[in-house]
Amino acid sequence: MAIGVKVMKRPEGETSYVRAALRGMRLTFKHMFQPKVTMQYPEERTTADARGPYAIAPRWRGTHRMMADEQGRSKCVACGLCPQICPANCIKLVPGEDEHGNRYPLIYEIDEFRCVFCGYCQEVCPEEAIHVGVHFENAEYGRDRFVYDLERLTSQTHPVSTLWDPADPKGE
Amino acid sequence: MTQDRVNVTIDGVPVAVPKGTSIIEAAKQAGVLVPHYCYHPSLPSPAVCRMCLVEVEKAPKLMPACVTTVAEGNVVHVNSPAAKEARESVLEFLLINHPLDCPICDQAGECELQDYVFQEGRANSRYGEFAKRYNPVEDFGPDVLYVANRCILCTRCVRFMEDVAGEPVLNVSERGDRAYIGIDPDHTLTHPWSGNVVDLCPVGSLISKDFLHKARAWDLDKTASVCPGCTQGCNIMIDTRDDVVVRLRPRANLDVNRHFICDEGRADYRWMNRGDRVEAPLRRDGSKLVPTDWEHAIARFAELAKSVRSVTILASGRASTEALGYLRKAFDGASVSAAVKVPTGSEAPLAGVPNLALRTERIPNLAGALLAGFGTDWDRTVAGAGASDLVVLLDVELDDAVAKLISAKTVIIATVDDDRAGGAALVLPTTTMAEENGTYVNRDGRVQRYFQAKAAPGMARPTWWIAAQLAEVGRGVAAPTTAAAAFAGLGKTIPALAGLSYSELGHTGRLVEVTAGAAR
Repeated sequence: MAIGVKVMKRPEGETSYVRAALRGMRLTFKHMFQPKVTMQYPEERTTADARGPYAIAPRWRGTHRMMADEQGRSKCVACGLCPQICPANCIKLVPGEDEHGNRYPLIYEIDEFRCVFCGYCQEVCPEEAIHVGVHFENAEYGRDRFVYDLERLTSQTHPVSTLWDPADPKGE
Repeated sequence: MTQDRVNVTIDGVPVAVPKGTSIIEAAKQAGVLVPHYCYHPSLPSPAVCRMCLVEVEKAPKLMPACVTTVAEGNVVHVNSPAAKEARESVLEFLLINHPLDCPICDQAGECELQDYVFQEGRANSRYGEFAKRYNPVEDFGPDVLYVANRCILCTRCVRFMEDVAGEPVLNVSERGDRAYIGIDPDHTLTHPWSGNVVDLCPVGSLISKDFLHKARAWDLDKTASVCPGCTQGCNIMIDTRDDVVVRLRPRANLDVNRHFICDEGRADYRWMNRGDRVEAPLRRDGSKLVPTDWEHAIARFAELAKSVRSVTILASGRASTEALGYLRKAFDGASVSAAVKVPTGSEAPLAGVPNLALRTERIPNLAGALLAGFGTDWDRTVAGAGASDLVVLLDVELDDAVAKLISAKTVIIATVDDDRAGGAALVLPTTTMAEENGTYVNRDGRVQRYFQAKAAPGMARPTWWIAAQLAEVGRGVAAPTTAAAAFAGLGKTIPALAGLSYSELGHTGRLVEVTAGAAR
């Protein structure tokens, strides 16, 4: 081959790996003496109301929770605003009438796989019934388990998102 | 400009309207909506809601647009600060006792109070600390519930029952802020047209039990159609949700039904949602019927129809003019005896509107059938059918007399699957009036279009398509491909319909000569 390659000559001190290796090890050993920041999940866990470095933000938007009234029934009146506003079209709602003539959801299902967790459903709800939750541990053994029905949504116990900062509701 | 017209300016738009027109109607022509509650074009105006107050230049104070007639040179301001302030105050008064139950109210989404408050109401209430008036929900009749709390006392329902239906069973009871709509304790809303109070109610105070909690207004797809209940041919809207018809409502047509439909027509939609439909063409193979495709089914039909000398066609009166016309025409060479079944019921007129009633003949297309060459002597046609070479049944109920006719010489064009059809040579799936475009001719000879409101099940096709395909395969007559082309082609055999087209019919229809123009 007739390609001329110019070989640069550098001093030994610059080409040796020993210096770089020592510099790397210095960083490694430095961290051994600093406070540990890694959370030992799942042995160690956090909740939304926990303070400290591992706390989830109170405005976190995770899987839903349906709020219930004092009798344990869901607060939903099946007004149909959440399926209407939902950009992912993941809420299925069939309205019905209970024995007192009140409107209530016969079927209320949220497909959490389709959900984009925008929080619009919580924002639009006139009864403060449906909420996005401060929760992220959703593993299941089957896909079908990700369609949450009304019973499951009502029995969730995790805290719910505040969606906006109470001190600055308009985001100013 | 002639003597009986006056020139007015409304919100800067000059219009010329006939003398005696109210400001609200003149504004409509100028393209300006005057917000209103008590005014309705089909009812007398009492000017009680005070919502339509507008500023008329040189008038000392605001004038109610619904009862003030226009005068030459009037300059009207609908959206001036004074008029807007008046409306805002009226809305504030209405909201003092109006509950905030829009989420569970059936009217939400099509509520005039909701619309106007959203447009120009106050942002928040000044009556927050006072309890709202509460009255229980009352049962007003077979299909009407009265939610007193939501009532804004526009009295449209009272005036409808008194002046239009002629059965004054509603009134305004009590006075002042305790007022509510009362009903005669010995009566309920059983008048055959009383369901219209639900449509007239601008808020969710009078609601239909049948539609209660069924769907939200914004979920509905609305399709213009014609009521298939009787020969009156009232214009309706078919409201569907997810391809299921959930209610029928009147559609304004001042020449036919104004703004009303009868309760029987309103309730008659469940058959449109039937699940037991024929979904594929069925062909006789030995002793049983087997599914086939349209190509083979039409070929078999053409084979059966080839060189027959006499044909009997028995059709349902719900069939479109296109269906009847093309079916009749497909057997041009043979001697055809054709009839539609005309079920009857008692006539129920609406007193306040001339020429409007639930008619005795309970089929929508009697005049269209007569135009297409069908008779009405059902029993004699059925009795004579045994002698003909081919019997075609179009969407008829297979009662004992008809079921007896079914043989290997019978072709059934059906919507509903029926065990009794087992003996037929062919069973072809067809669409109902909710699933196709077509026309009906009402008793006055008004040709009216109806539009497709929901998807046809399976392979079902409109009857005119089946008949036209039969004529194409059997006799080489080119078949139309769209309903519009099919209707335009009808004029060739039915002189009364010559020259008409779908676009010409529009949404309100056209009058044709029914008696003189019958086919052949």
